[in-house]
Amino acid sequence: MIPNDFPKLQSLATRQSAVFPSHEKYLRKRFEATTPEGFAFAEKLAHTVEMLVGDGMDTHLADYRWLCEMVVDEEIAFRRTGEYRLSTFEQAEREVYADRVFMTRYMNGLLMSQLWWRNHTEVMGYYQSIYLGKLKSGFRHLEIGPGHGLFLGLAADAPGCATATGWDVSPASIAMTQHALGVLKPKKTVHLELVNMFSAPSGMFDSIVFSEVLEHLEKPAEALDAIMRLLAKDGLAFINAPVNSPAPDHLALFRAPEEIVDLVRTAGFEIVDTLFAPTSGTTLESARKRAMAISTAVIARKTT
Amino acid sequence: MSAHQQKILDEIQALMTDLFDEYDGKVGMTTTAEDIEQWDSLANVQLMVRLEQRFKIKFTAAEITSLAHVGELVTLIGGKLPA
Repeated sequence: MIPNDFPKLQSLATRQSAVFPSHEKYLRKRFEATTPEGFAFAEKLAHTVEMLVGDGMDTHLADYRWLCEMVVDEEIAFRRTGEYRLSTFEQAEREVYADRVFMTRYMNGLLMSQLWWRNHTEVMGYYQSIYLGKLKSGFRHLEIGPGHGLFLGLAADAPGCATATGWDVSPASIAMTQHALGVLKPKKTVHLELVNMFSAPSGMFDSIVFSEVLEHLEKPAEALDAIMRLLAKDGLAFINAPVNSPAPDHLALFRAPEEIVDLVRTAGFEIVDTLFAPTSGTTLESARKRAMAISTAVIARKTT
Repeated sequence: MSAHQQKILDEIQALMTDLFDEYDGKVGMTTTAEDIEQWDSLANVQLMVRLEQRFKIKFTAAEITSLAHVGELVTLIGGKLPA
């Protein structure tokens, strides 16, 4: 499944299969068409995940299994109704965000999904190789909702990064990102702040990352308006959200990648580039036909 | 296999052919998820919900996630349909 040249990845996949035997076929499929470059990126990511997790790997592998089983329950509800189960932030707050134990397991599982869900790994590779490469030297960077800290760490390590900032509305999320950056030790110091994006001053950043946040909002268009306001002229935004991807706290349902692209365009952005990454083991065409999850990454420019 | 079971199997085969469009093998009573690359846990949910809609029945979450092979599915559906 995974060549011996990538020992960390191979070892983690073996351990994950031991904790979650019925997932072995999925993991085999996830890596079956992976290029040598893809394996090299995943190997590096496996190393990073190991660093972040430290001696808590067994817990993370178990929490990943728990996450996958929970997603199946959400998938059942989604396929029966054609809608996400929750529609308001208040519901998500009550069922998910206010439950510290649930949130810890959820975030642990999501960190592992960066490796095991091909679309997640693909978006991260695209972000590093394409998005960060488009930023002009001296860029002032912001990530809203930096979560596991992997994207923010990469930006703060980019050679042209002048300043790096992370905003969240949750002290617990800020603490998690802080821990991750303390381990990753990027070249630039990252400023983590409790800030509500809707009440921050305008035009402060040349680069804004908004990854896997849009689908958690009741009114995603308003967030894109805010990002437009926060960017300086000619600034770039990296927007990443999934379509057809039920989860316990997903509110905004996008049924096709083009819905997300159109939403970004409608907010006034120029679309620079896009990536449509289907869920593991399927082609984009098949994922569209079967309404499966597709991660949709959009690089957009503020031109005015 | 009874005519009733054969009819259920025919319906399952038709749905699976549409859903697992990269699989060109035969679907029979002994077919398992191991035989069909596209048949993973999420695709399984799609299959089961389509079967619910086709036969106007309801599966429990445990039934959706615990089936071993198509034959078991035929029996399960048969048990939920009027005799």
